[in-house]
Amino acid sequence: MALLDIEQLSVSFDTDEGTFPAVSDLSLTLEEGEVLGIVGESGSGKSVTMLAMMGLLPFNARVEASRFHFAGQDMQTLNDRARRRLTGNDIAMIFQEPSTSLNPSFTIGFQLLEAIKAHEGGSRRQRRERGIELLDQVGIPAPGKRLNDYPHQLSGGMNQRVMIAMAIACNPRLLIADEPTTALDVTIQAQILDLLLRLQQERGMGMILITHDMGVVAGAAKRVAVMYAGQLMETGASHDVFREPAHPYTGALLNALPERHPGTARLPTIPGVVPGINDRPQGCLFHPRCAHARQDCRASRPALKAVHAETGLGTRHVRCYHPLNEEVLEIAP
Amino acid sequence: MLSFVFRKLLMLIPTLLGITLVTFTLVHLIPGDPVAIMAGERGISAERHAQVMAELGLDRPLWEQYLSFLGNLAQGDLGHSLISSNPVLDEFLSLFPATLELGFCAMLLAVSLGIPLGVIAGIKRGSIIDHTVMGTSLTGYSMPIFWWGLLLIIFFSGILGWTPVSGRLSSNYWIETPTGFMLIDTLLSGEPGAFTDALRHLILPTIVLATIPLAVIARMTRSSILEVLGEDYIRTARAKGLSPWRIIAIHALRNAMIPVTTVIGLQIGLLFSGAILTETIFSWPGIGKWLIDAVGRRDYPSLQGGILLIALIVMVVNLIVDLLYGLINPRIRNSR
Repeated sequence: MALLDIEQLSVSFDTDEGTFPAVSDLSLTLEEGEVLGIVGESGSGKSVTMLAMMGLLPFNARVEASRFHFAGQDMQTLNDRARRRLTGNDIAMIFQEPSTSLNPSFTIGFQLLEAIKAHEGGSRRQRRERGIELLDQVGIPAPGKRLNDYPHQLSGGMNQRVMIAMAIACNPRLLIADEPTTALDVTIQAQILDLLLRLQQERGMGMILITHDMGVVAGAAKRVAVMYAGQLMETGASHDVFREPAHPYTGALLNALPERHPGTARLPTIPGVVPGINDRPQGCLFHPRCAHARQDCRASRPALKAVHAETGLGTRHVRCYHPLNEEVLEIAP
Repeated sequence: MLSFVFRKLLMLIPTLLGITLVTFTLVHLIPGDPVAIMAGERGISAERHAQVMAELGLDRPLWEQYLSFLGNLAQGDLGHSLISSNPVLDEFLSLFPATLELGFCAMLLAVSLGIPLGVIAGIKRGSIIDHTVMGTSLTGYSMPIFWWGLLLIIFFSGILGWTPVSGRLSSNYWIETPTGFMLIDTLLSGEPGAFTDALRHLILPTIVLATIPLAVIARMTRSSILEVLGEDYIRTARAKGLSPWRIIAIHALRNAMIPVTTVIGLQIGLLFSGAILTETIFSWPGIGKWLIDAVGRRDYPSLQGGILLIALIVMVVNLIVDLLYGLINPRIRNSR
């Protein structure tokens, strides 16, 4: 049984001017202890999808799915209280901006220990010891002293370590990391990423890693999902997807990586921007920016289709009428 | 921390000097003089007028009067009232508890009602509750205080007869006032019914004086809560699976209180100007009414001394609020 099993998830926002779809027809599965990378530009619906999983969307958001199971539990039938028992306990999340994600008015210790108190209880002393142990695990020096510090007294990297300690405090089975290194210095980025992957392996947690750094995904995740404008464009084993991208969007993203163009002054880019929630085009969502778009791409929106790849690491899906590398891929009927 | 307080206290001195200059000038700009007013409609001879003026020292050039006022002030002497010839400080201190009692009750009402109302309006943004709270507070804020006071008197005292019209205690009670705080004194006296009588006298003036601070605090709390609820750390708190109650009462409120504290501090300063009107309407024997009487009688020393003391109190209150910030906001505490 998969740890996370989502089918046809859609998230829309009710506003005064009508209902706007942010994510549509998204299906994902994640096994226990597996790492899934989600990539895509800003505005492609990565964070909204994860917030929907955590139940953290604002009240005007509507989440619908034909199947939304976590560890065998149907998340759609849970009431608020039962849902809260899962969030922060079995599912935890860390965010992009560590320094604004911690409450400036409370000490690190208060914020870390309240998570333990909410889900596991225990005496004040036990919790404190656990807090010190957690800070030590995420590599914070002198953890006993740091418990009494306020977030503004620590650096961004240290704050992100605190966020990680908070997230793993209750031994979650799924950790969602939403661009955990984007706001940090380059030197710190690698440290935080290493820490996350080490903890993931030690604890056998499932992990969803959101990023727009393709290099990070290639190194960390066995499977990858590429999102664009609220839709899943391609999923598959990272190895396959990176070597032979099927969707032109994946191909364009990979083509924009500096390491693929050593010595050139100007990197290739994808022209245009991700369409906003109310200016989504007819047909394939990517066609206005796609170099390979044809008549049928403009006419109707393609469905996600299973394709077969060489390595056979899980199934591979692509949402495109005219995938790249068609000669290597066998399109399923 | 101590040096911070010391520096702030030192900075009070030039401000107070400025205030003496402004009040001294303004007070003497009021047309008429105390002797003519004391003499009443019948008037007195020009000779006698000049004689009394000289006795009071009011015939000297203004700068000379100002310097002697400052000189006395430096020795802690605020002068004597021209009317009662009691020391100004004594008169102030004997009347101040009445104003303090009224002001304290009004602030207590404003804070204890304003903050919860603001929080509820903020959480239920756009709901009927929100619109009601915001609409009512805008009305309260815009209403002239004297008119609002009269309306309440007409309705509750006149038509319904629930509350007394004026004063601090009915005349059928005669009690000792060792503290000057009527609620405490009536309790100490042991006189049956005196405490409830004092309380009934307090209700309307408290409501009138609390109206504007209540409105301001409620509106400020609402906008502050709304801002805080959009912060990343609220999302983090929700991601920990904390209860909505805990998220609002602990994580949001603590941060939302930072700007609200500033506003409360400023409102305490404004409270005195509200007290002047409120005390006049309700014949409340406090500093406000005393000052108005002093203006009417051109009692220069009482006015100068009274305003200076009020200014000092307002500045000290704001200093305390400044120090309180540190308790609420750790980022300030550590930067000092």
